[in-house]
Amino acid sequence: MDKNIGLYICTGCSIGESVNVEKIVNIGKNALRVPVVKSHFALCGKEGTGLIRNDMQAEGVNTVVVAACSPRVKYEEFDFPGCIVERVPVRELAIWTQEPNSEEAQLAAEDYIRMGVIKVQKGDLPEPYLMETVKSILVIGGGITGMTAALQAADAGYPVVLVEKEDRLGGFVNRLHKIGKIPADPAKDPLIADSGIENTIKAVESNPKIKVYKSAKVEKTEGQPGAFDVTISSNGSSETVRIGSVVLAAGWRPYDASKLGHLGYGMPNVVTNIEFEEIARQGKIARPSDGKEAKKVAFVQCAGQRDPDHLPYCSAMCCTTSLKQAQYVRQNPAAAAMILYKDIRTPGNLEYFYKAAQNDPGVMLTKGEVTGVSEADGGNLYVEMQDSLLGGQVKIEADMVVLATGIVPATADDPILMLQYRQGPGLPDLDLYDGFADSNFICFQYETRRTGVYAAGCVRQPMNMAEAQEDATGAALKAIQSVEHVATGIAVHPRAWDMTYPDPYMQRCTSCKRCTEECPFGAIDEDEKGTPFYKPGRCRRCATCMGACPERIVSFKDYHVDMIGSMLKSVSVPEDEDKPRIIVLACENDAYPAIDTAALQKGRLDPAIRIIQLRCLGSTNLVWIADALSRGVDGMLLLGCKYGENYQCHFAKGSELANYRLGKVQETLGRLQLEAERVGMIQLAIDEYDKIPSLITGFVERVKEIGPNPFKGF
Amino acid sequence: MSEQSSRRPHRILVIGGGFSGLTTAVDAAETGAEVIVIERNPYLGGRVAQLNKYFPKLCPPLCGLELNFKRIRTNPLVTLHTMAEVETITGGPGDYTVTVKLHPRYVNDNCTACNACAEACPAERPNDFNFGMDRTKAAYLPFNQAFPQKYVIDGASCAADCGKACREACRYGAVDLEMKAETRELRVDSLVVATGWDPYDPNRLDLLGFGKVKNVITNMMMERLASPTGPTAGKILRPSDGKPVENIVFVQCAGSRDENHLPYCSSICCLASLKQVTYIREQNPGSKARIFYIDIRTPGKYEKFYGKVKEDPNVSFTKGKVARIVQAEGSDDVIVEAEDMLTGAKVKVQADMVVLATGMEPTGASRKVSGVGYNGDGFVLSVQGVSAAGCSKNPMDVARSAQDATSAVLKAIKTGQGR
Amino acid sequence: MPEQIAGQIIKPDLNFVKDIIASGGESLKKCYQCSTCTVVCDVTPGETPFPRKEMLYAQWGLKERLLNNPDVWLCHQCSDCTAHCPRGAKPGEVLGAVRKMTIREYSAPRFLAHMVADSKYLLLLMALPVLLLLGVIVGRGVTGIPDGEIVYTKIMPVPAIDVIFTAAAVFAVLSFLFGIRKYWAAMKVGTKAAPRGSLAEDVVAVITEFLTHRRFRKCSVTQERSTSHLLVFYAFAGLALTTTWAIVYLYGFHRESPYPQYDPMKLVGNVSALALLFGISLVVVNRLKNAEKAGKGSYFDWLFLSVIFIIAVTGLFSELLRLGNIAVLAYPVYFIHLVFVFFLFAYAPFSKMAHMVYRTTALVFARQTGRDR
Repeated sequence: MDKNIGLYICTGCSIGESVNVEKIVNIGKNALRVPVVKSHFALCGKEGTGLIRNDMQAEGVNTVVVAACSPRVKYEEFDFPGCIVERVPVRELAIWTQEPNSEEAQLAAEDYIRMGVIKVQKGDLPEPYLMETVKSILVIGGGITGMTAALQAADAGYPVVLVEKEDRLGGFVNRLHKIGKIPADPAKDPLIADSGIENTIKAVESNPKIKVYKSAKVEKTEGQPGAFDVTISSNGSSETVRIGSVVLAAGWRPYDASKLGHLGYGMPNVVTNIEFEEIARQGKIARPSDGKEAKKVAFVQCAGQRDPDHLPYCSAMCCTTSLKQAQYVRQNPAAAAMILYKDIRTPGNLEYFYKAAQNDPGVMLTKGEVTGVSEADGGNLYVEMQDSLLGGQVKIEADMVVLATGIVPATADDPILMLQYRQGPGLPDLDLYDGFADSNFICFQYETRRTGVYAAGCVRQPMNMAEAQEDATGAALKAIQSVEHVATGIAVHPRAWDMTYPDPYMQRCTSCKRCTEECPFGAIDEDEKGTPFYKPGRCRRCATCMGACPERIVSFKDYHVDMIGSMLKSVSVPEDEDKPRIIVLACENDAYPAIDTAALQKGRLDPAIRIIQLRCLGSTNLVWIADALSRGVDGMLLLGCKYGENYQCHFAKGSELANYRLGKVQETLGRLQLEAERVGMIQLAIDEYDKIPSLITGFVERVKEIGPNPFKGF
Repeated sequence: MSEQSSRRPHRILVIGGGFSGLTTAVDAAETGAEVIVIERNPYLGGRVAQLNKYFPKLCPPLCGLELNFKRIRTNPLVTLHTMAEVETITGGPGDYTVTVKLHPRYVNDNCTACNACAEACPAERPNDFNFGMDRTKAAYLPFNQAFPQKYVIDGASCAADCGKACREACRYGAVDLEMKAETRELRVDSLVVATGWDPYDPNRLDLLGFGKVKNVITNMMMERLASPTGPTAGKILRPSDGKPVENIVFVQCAGSRDENHLPYCSSICCLASLKQVTYIREQNPGSKARIFYIDIRTPGKYEKFYGKVKEDPNVSFTKGKVARIVQAEGSDDVIVEAEDMLTGAKVKVQADMVVLATGMEPTGASRKVSGVGYNGDGFVLSVQGVSAAGCSKNPMDVARSAQDATSAVLKAIKTGQGR
Repeated sequence: MPEQIAGQIIKPDLNFVKDIIASGGESLKKCYQCSTCTVVCDVTPGETPFPRKEMLYAQWGLKERLLNNPDVWLCHQCSDCTAHCPRGAKPGEVLGAVRKMTIREYSAPRFLAHMVADSKYLLLLMALPVLLLLGVIVGRGVTGIPDGEIVYTKIMPVPAIDVIFTAAAVFAVLSFLFGIRKYWAAMKVGTKAAPRGSLAEDVVAVITEFLTHRRFRKCSVTQERSTSHLLVFYAFAGLALTTTWAIVYLYGFHRESPYPQYDPMKLVGNVSALALLFGISLVVVNRLKNAEKAGKGSYFDWLFLSVIFIIAVTGLFSELLRLGNIAVLAYPVYFIHLVFVFFLFAYAPFSKMAHMVYRTTALVFARQTGRDR
């Protein structure tokens, strides 16, 4: 695009009173050669925006640099579709955080505006990556979660392919005698009901938009969102279907009860809750050893769950399951069900279920730690408890014991997806979530590190049936969103507005594979020769590959190594040895908003710094450090998200990778004979804005102690 | 939608701009629907905006909020109305007419968030964002990272002189005290009710001393005390005398699971207290915390968070509900009474401060939207065309609210489809 | 409590649970063990307090732990627990049911206990005094309302009353003694601590407490109850005094009734009767008033209240009708009065009347074992 730049400098919000705007206008016109440079008292007002629009029509301005306030305010006012718009937060970075009318404020304003102009000069309007896509959705798992996702997506008009490993749909619900129901009127309504799963199965199997594969599994998944090629094997034959996105609803299996010998598993009258469903389906509750009707059934909660030696998590559904199964026992009015719990967990409205289920003379509950199960006379058992409310250490006599075992996600030891990705066949990070295909993000529950794959139901988190159905509906929506976005060439979360995509200049690629290894989303594969092969559909546009590439060949239309490099090279470097210059690379998602907020508090920031926003710290290319330091910049500070187990990076690995790269910067600095301490990284959360002034001052002080950069003035 | 791409986009009205409403709005807009968000407060983010950290990651809620705000900023399909309330809903799935009342903000779109009005404003008001624990000017920004970043004037607190001062301070003509409430009529295909929750009124818990015994606060107040934007800039100081809190007691189920108050479990309070224990333990290494509970409810992966907090030797857990709270004699300390059920003895514990883990009352319990169905507790009953999301339908944490809101989008966009 | 029953085998007893429910503990299943009840209870000791643990034992049907438990008698059914229960359980009523079952468990003969507790035997139980007293009347040849001045000995001679009521009283006392012995032994089995100290001192202490209703006065939700109960308590004491006095008159001074109204014994009797009527009416009113917060009470409670109420009313009316010389009503009312007095006496070991004996026993035991000092 032929760019015709307009630079607009706002003089409101004390900008005009704090810096010499006229001087900046002149820099814009003369040094930066911007054709249209104007200032206005309130650019955001009707008159101000009118001025810009007028220049667009009259002067053909199509690239606008608004040197005013942060892009976090006044976003509607400066929305000019079809134009490149760059917002330079002069107010926040040069006025509110610097001494008014000081040389420092003036220099800062000039530097930021210069960088803004360079940025638009180097950038371009995005063009979406368009490829041929399909909008069909693959649902892996035909249990209640998978079937719900399939029906929901089909109802919304999307073709669905459903893969179920068993020869029948329905999953675990098929094995249930009854399901629990919160009674509307506890006095009248039953607590258990038929699951009605047959109706759901019928609805799925008769839906013309849903193609069902039974006794089937995914053999391999190739390609990318919008164009996955999924090979499904079923009954000895395989078939490859083209898929847009995937709902992973592979469900769970019960924890291996044979590991629960200490709780008596292996004794004839000790069964798991799943086995108990089977017993209940036969009619009366006959205990396995002699077929006698069980009259005193003890339910041992947390049989394996909440136990670091078995499952460290809580399975969330076992309390309600046992309360439900107590109703099976109570079909015989002379029988008692005893529930031995650590905590009864019936959150939210499930409390009503607990209340109703408990309000039955034959349902007895008590808290305590079950330590073992031993044999008593006549095939009966003693459940041994400690710290019991019934009085310290007690033995409870039962004629049958049900172990409320927990759930193990299908992904615990099976990649399921069989992705033909360079980074492996399954979802990464599973060990962080004990094998669940969960999201790291509290706010964004469906985000996995494999674009176009959305997990739902018990493969994602332990949950009950009602929750799983809601979860399935949400996952179906995300899958729909994904195919729609990829069809129009827009990224998905967390940059669901972004139409740029990585465009590597492959001729210069050395096949070092750093990008393929580092991409947090596995978006880059390698061909037979080991050359990286980008799959833009999988890309989340964090630009980690751009930061990783030593050849600096990865670029986006509006974001590339040269752009940021040119910006930081344009920053003024004071010759005065007491006035260091430090470049701060800040994550635009968290660190920059924090700086913005610090500015709103009018907290002073050390005048040594110049802040550049990055898509993600993962896009930090080490060449920037070399470029800056070799120009005499005294130090560089990276401000990014917290990493580690509870990482906060929206791109999962960005800040961690930036830190990893900094570990290697030593080499670069050594070449320049510079101290490693000139470059640092601080993990900063978005709410830590109150700490920013002191953190920055601290870093500047450390750099001052090292002394000025010997390259200064070269 | 895949087969309707040539038709006009789906229009959805989202009532409530808290985390559920926001998620619904951005997810719907990113699926191609036109979304209008109605928020009662002058800012978005709802209860989440008042939280200091999330459990179990102990990460700041503003991180996710900011990204959602960015998604709104970059998505032309989302329209926002703050300080707005639904008056009536008529029509049916696929064609609803909703009248919305927009309350005056007294600050128009010219506002640049420069803070001049607040600096000049002579009047103050109790800061409801901080549960009245401090005051703001009558012209104020609700909180530092409020979105939209626009000031608001509390008309009731800003009398004649105040209005003049604020108006004269603004150089952009943004202060407009003549602003009147307006009513708008909106036509939409479907609605999502995400009206969220209120903290249960602690004054109604007669045994637990709130309002009568000094230094008894609620868990939401604790969030504000621990927050850098709170009344104490994040230092946990007890209200009566500003003493740093060394010794704290958490009272679980303060109102929840109680037929006399909220019969259901509020789902989040156990985890909230565990999280708040970490606030105090981190801030004050010698501090001690004790949690009195009926059942510790940390389902799923949250169990590991519980385990982590439990490992701290300065944190103790007592099975037994607190049923009496009184002032210690001759001091501002608080005495709580409970039975330690595992030792089987009544205990009286003296603490610097007591946090009542008060539960969630759906806003439907006190403020119903006419035309929306509710159950006896005030939770929204979804019907075709009107879906509930988040805590307006069942008590849930932020994670589940986010998930639930996404699921509500699919229900909403299916309504009236293909017209 | 924990160490006291370490390693104990727990055998849940559903039938016993159902028994408690049938005896007026309908709400016991609602308890979810939060212990609000125990905390708001001002009459429980601080160590191993009640009633939370009793609620759990009741839910599991742990019969021994309830029926040999003196704690159930420390409870005065203030109903503070019931008013504050978050789950709508009524520990006061459940403990009341357990007390009733304790009486039933230890009083002898057992069949009578069951009959008294069950409304379907009410007429049968009533039939005994009716037939007995009718027998006396018919045996005397009385076939209608006697003429002339109303003198109740005309239909019911003193010796007959003496024989019948002495027999009833002796039966009651023996039954009580038997029950106390069994109960004491059972409580010893259920408690680790052995009874120690002076029995006499503890008995005096307990009775002193009864005289002041010290513990009962701690109730807050149903505070008025202690006053009305105190009134009934002293009314009974007054009536007991009157009876003793009458025996002294009759056998010591050979003075025959009716006595003149100014007679001091008559005075005490009349005042006590009025106090009883007033007190019992207050009890009834309070119960109805507090029904929502404290529960409406069981058949067992209401039978007892009704019997006392009827005795008080018929007693007073016997006198008033006699003074008013309305023979046609006076004799039948007197007859009814006697029937109910018999009912109260003879069935005392099985009715709620027994609470005074069992409560005394339990409180003395509690003091003896250091539970309640």
